[in-house]
Amino acid sequence: MIEVKDLSKDYIILKRKPGLSGAIRSLFIREKEIKQAVDHISFEIKPGEVVGYIGPNGAGKSTTIKMLCGILTPSHGEIRVNGVVPYQNRKQNAINIGAVYGQRTQLFWDIPVRESYELLRHIYEIPKNDFEARMKHFTEYLNLGPILDIPVRQLSLGQKMRCELAASFLHNPAVVFLDEPTIGLDVAVKENIRKFIREMNHLYGTTVILTTHDMEDIEQLCQRIIIIDNGSILYDGDLVAVKERFGHQRTIHFEMPQTDHFKLPASLESTVDVAEITESRVSLLFSSRDIKGAEVIAIMMAEYEVNDLTIKDTSIETIVKEIYERGI
Amino acid sequence: MRKYIAIFKSQIQITFAYSAWFWASMISAVFQLIILFYFWHAVYQNSDTIGNMNIKQMITYVMIATILGKFMNGAGSQLAGDIRTGQIATELMRPYNLLHKLMAMDLGGKTSDFIQSAVPLLVVAGLFFSITLPESLTAGILFVVSSILGILLAGVFDLIIGLLAFWTINTWGLRILRNAIVLFFSGSLIPISLFPPSMQLISQYLPFQSMVYVPVSIYTGAISGQDAWMAMGAQLFWIVFIYAVLRASWSQALRKVTIFGG
Ligand SMILES: Nc1ncnc2c1ncn2[C@@H]1O[C@H](COP(=O)(O)OP(=O)(O)OP(=O)(O)O)[C@@H](O)[C@H]1O
Ligand SMILES: [Mg+2]
Repeated sequence: MIEVKDLSKDYIILKRKPGLSGAIRSLFIREKEIKQAVDHISFEIKPGEVVGYIGPNGAGKSTTIKMLCGILTPSHGEIRVNGVVPYQNRKQNAINIGAVYGQRTQLFWDIPVRESYELLRHIYEIPKNDFEARMKHFTEYLNLGPILDIPVRQLSLGQKMRCELAASFLHNPAVVFLDEPTIGLDVAVKENIRKFIREMNHLYGTTVILTTHDMEDIEQLCQRIIIIDNGSILYDGDLVAVKERFGHQRTIHFEMPQTDHFKLPASLESTVDVAEITESRVSLLFSSRDIKGAEVIAIMMAEYEVNDLTIKDTSIETIVKEIYERGI
Repeated sequence: MRKYIAIFKSQIQITFAYSAWFWASMISAVFQLIILFYFWHAVYQNSDTIGNMNIKQMITYVMIATILGKFMNGAGSQLAGDIRTGQIATELMRPYNLLHKLMAMDLGGKTSDFIQSAVPLLVVAGLFFSITLPESLTAGILFVVSSILGILLAGVFDLIIGLLAFWTINTWGLRILRNAIVLFFSGSLIPISLFPPSMQLISQYLPFQSMVYVPVSIYTGAISGQDAWMAMGAQLFWIVFIYAVLRASWSQALRKVTIFGG
């Protein structure tokens, strides 16, 4: 479905010195800086896969997706999406793909959602029967009924995102790219959106590529993840394997009235690391294989006065850091 | 083609929906006609003809030109906005040609503007300011065709201005300059035939007089017969020429987005 071979993207950034003199200078001398956003990556995605494409901010995720959508031309390498080279054949590619960008809208701003869909039907030349069947299904699944007659600009973020999602699947594309589809949404809407994506994948066999900073999205939707950092792929494979390797990392934040004289209790020294100490908080990092969370808490409570505590699962950021430092 | 027609139709609906805006622009347009009426009457106080036109011909010209002049904008500012906000990226992921989509939207908006404001304004002008009918039936028909050509020409020209947003951050200043030039050289303020000879000469080699001056002069009979066909040929030439420039700069602009990322 998707083949990416040795793909790179360099951005050329024209540098400008600050101030007026810098502005005038830049008229004559242009200093260029090359930013390698994606650096010789290769992967292949089969039809019907749901792949999580993850990595820290600025890793190159959106850049990759833009190349797959055909709106950025690669500096080097090959891409094929459903047999089409996206940047050479943008319109053909457009019919094969759907996309949601968390921060952008693709619905028509001024008209009710229902009419937006009606327009998309013409734009994508969707047969009327297919369109109606899918519309009915989507309305039910994403609970769009009450919002279909409202213009897009009056929708809340969660409502808008549900509408966007329906729009991206409307023409039954072979591949859907979702760039942070759950950003800024509450738990219930996130749940709803995940359920919908899973259902579409089962029903129509739609291939889905998902970027997100929410580990929950990944765990519920993806069998496979690709981790990218600094433009290079760090890991490509099974989610379960990564979770087994890193999923046991825990961080506990202890809120304490006093942290000045904090010293890690001796009984924890061999198994626990101090991740961070601030004025009112101590964060401890450990593996649930080496020591139980309950035990860490008990020992801390015995030695120090603790007001409150929170336990954190491993975030994508820590996993990436971990892989970066220690390898897979 | 079907998709562009659907976009065209939907834009007609959208424009019809803004009724508050409609009344505001309608009232201001009527005031504009009233001011024109008294202004030109004052100008004609001491003479019967100015540049071969009597008062009735002049009032007819300026009123038709003012109404037609309201259709000389285009989708350029929407294009510039899409470029500035980065919305252009999602537009490029659609199976249509963005330029054609914008033109379809623009023409849709103008169609509903024509029905809801141009027609009533023409009626007002005819009833209260006694503008004359076209010279002849042929002149009337040619005027309609020539007006459509003028509107299309202004539309492609406006898209070129919008496209400049790819190269300059501030299209606002450009737009003001454009509006001033179009207002003056299109002949929607005063007929080009009143310009000093040197300005008339310059104007002949510019596309702007094809926007308003040509169709309205066909209406009043100032351009007729062979000359009318020639003038319409020139309109067609400018549309094709400017559209070609538009396409060429569009593909340059696309290269800029797809290679440099905006
Ligand atoms: N148009 C551009 N011009 C120059 N540099 C850019 C451009 N777009 C992105 N970059 C740079 O390329 C790198 C990768 O950016 P990209 O948007 O792909 O990251 P990302 O993985 O999507 O990050 P995030 O999680 O923050 O969305 C960043 O360093 C960014 O600053
Ligand atoms: Mg991104």
